[in-house]
Amino acid sequence: MAEDIKLMKGNEAIAHAAIRYGADGYFGYPITPQSEILETLMAEMPWETTGMVVLQAESEVAAINMVYGGAGTGKRVMTSSSSPGISLKQEGISYLAGAELPCLIVNVMRGGPGLGTIQPSQADYFQTVKGGGHGDYRLITLVPSSVQEMADFVGLGFDLAFKYNNPAIILADGIIGQMMEKVVMPPFRPRKTEAEIIAECPWAAQGKLKNRKANIITSLELDPAKMEENNIRFQAKYRKIEENEVRYEEFHCDDAEYLLVAFGSSARICQKVVEIARGEGIKLGLLRPITLWPFPTKAIAAYADKVKGMLSVELNAGQMVEDIRLAVNGKIKVEHFGRLGGIVFTPDEVLAALKEKLF
Amino acid sequence: MELNEIIKPENLVYTKPELMNDNPMHYCPGCSHGVIHKLIAEVIAEMGMEEKTIGVSPVGCAVFAYNYLDIDWEEAAHGRAPAIATAIKRLNPEKMVFTYQGDGDLAAIGTAETIHAANRGENIVIVFVNNAIYGMTGGQMAPTTLEGMPTATCPYGRNIALDGYPLKIGDLLAQLEGTCLVTRQSVQTAAAVRKAKKMLRKAFENSMAGKGTSVVEFVSTCSSGWKMTPEKANTWMEENMFPFYPLGDLKNKE
Repeated sequence: MAEDIKLMKGNEAIAHAAIRYGADGYFGYPITPQSEILETLMAEMPWETTGMVVLQAESEVAAINMVYGGAGTGKRVMTSSSSPGISLKQEGISYLAGAELPCLIVNVMRGGPGLGTIQPSQADYFQTVKGGGHGDYRLITLVPSSVQEMADFVGLGFDLAFKYNNPAIILADGIIGQMMEKVVMPPFRPRKTEAEIIAECPWAAQGKLKNRKANIITSLELDPAKMEENNIRFQAKYRKIEENEVRYEEFHCDDAEYLLVAFGSSARICQKVVEIARGEGIKLGLLRPITLWPFPTKAIAAYADKVKGMLSVELNAGQMVEDIRLAVNGKIKVEHFGRLGGIVFTPDEVLAALKEKLF
Repeated sequence: MELNEIIKPENLVYTKPELMNDNPMHYCPGCSHGVIHKLIAEVIAEMGMEEKTIGVSPVGCAVFAYNYLDIDWEEAAHGRAPAIATAIKRLNPEKMVFTYQGDGDLAAIGTAETIHAANRGENIVIVFVNNAIYGMTGGQMAPTTLEGMPTATCPYGRNIALDGYPLKIGDLLAQLEGTCLVTRQSVQTAAAVRKAKKMLRKAFENSMAGKGTSVVEFVSTCSSGWKMTPEKANTWMEENMFPFYPLGDLKNKE
């Protein structure tokens, strides 16, 4: 069968992939630069075809709580927003993590802080991988650097979320959300049946059947001894995810003397930087984390024994660089280069920064 | 009648609803929550919906409602129950879905979620317990606290100039096209309990008939928060709450 290839925006790819994956529900609130996700879903009317529920909520707060409600019944539900809206969702994300509910969240990042700008940014790294909401929790964080990955990570995100009963987030940025590329569309899959949901999610609040105890979706536990047990269980799960789910991509790393580390749209720009540098005889490689949590700590630590220096290239004031430094543990020089507030760097700028900071 | 006669099953006039479990309740003596919980348990069982009901509990005194009613529950963040119930019902339209919320949860922090769920006409039941005070956190002012009524955060009585007016959110919800039933009930007498139960049943039936949002407000007491005996609280409620929150149907669309 011929591949189903289409030209579309990253945001549109998310919407189409959600329908094709067999998602049960999407709940969102408009915000630039990701409104095409809700717009596309509304135009596609999946409730008429797959039965997927799509609803424009009254706020991002309501939308993330709708996700909590739906996820609590074992359904595959998602929401999307951009930075200021994702800030509003943090309370709900913390509750989702605390109640161990699987769901998919999409953040198409824009510049901040505050209302900031609608231009692309990667300044929500800390918010996403270091917490964001209250309490000790982690989000499985997938970072697409192409429209293809926007489509592919919907299914991957849901699969990982349900594998570990934990929220997953696609951390995209305004460039990936808005740019158009060709996409090999994922195949259509049917939505899970009620029986499949009950088998897969015996914990789900689906109506208490006579043969089981009541299922209660909650993050509340007033007994500190039990709450500590819950937290220890969460942490054990997070260690398992760190062990099993690290994803990254290497580009010209084999003989590299210097290493760029970049994610999302920055990684696309850094591919060009590597090509230009190699043309000048500089042995430069690129390591692109695909998961920001779990972070490719071991891979980066291994490169600390092989290369002379690393440059963390991010559209922010230096966030991922902290995790790279922790991985490298002082063995080599690790510097950061970024542009702020919605400005995107050129490959030449990055190369100049590499030479200035590391040579 | 002899004791042995009295305890015969055929002479049984009252029993604990099947859906109420044996967990000791944390509610204070005289609190309305216990009776309202019982009514919900009875209505669900009488409708034969035990296996199809999903409750959404709030943040407030009823945060542990899930410990007492033996059905599936989702525990909501403060104020967000109507959004959670919206998704549960939309994704599971054959299920019976209700929220159980206090005045702070429903009429302060959750005002947006409440109004928009009701305005969309979500086919859910909103059980609203209005005792004009924040019980769980120790008796602070609620959006429904009456003028002049003292609480921990308005110790000299609610001052309209400072705190604004008590919110008649039931009246507000009755204005919305999405609601089919908005009724204000109470449970301080046996007669009131019977009447309230009838309206609660109607609300649950509406939700399954797809008629839109039903809101059952219970004007309630909080003897601990009000610092009164249960008996005094009932009298105080009748004398002070009922004139401002009169009982009866605010809207009952057939």
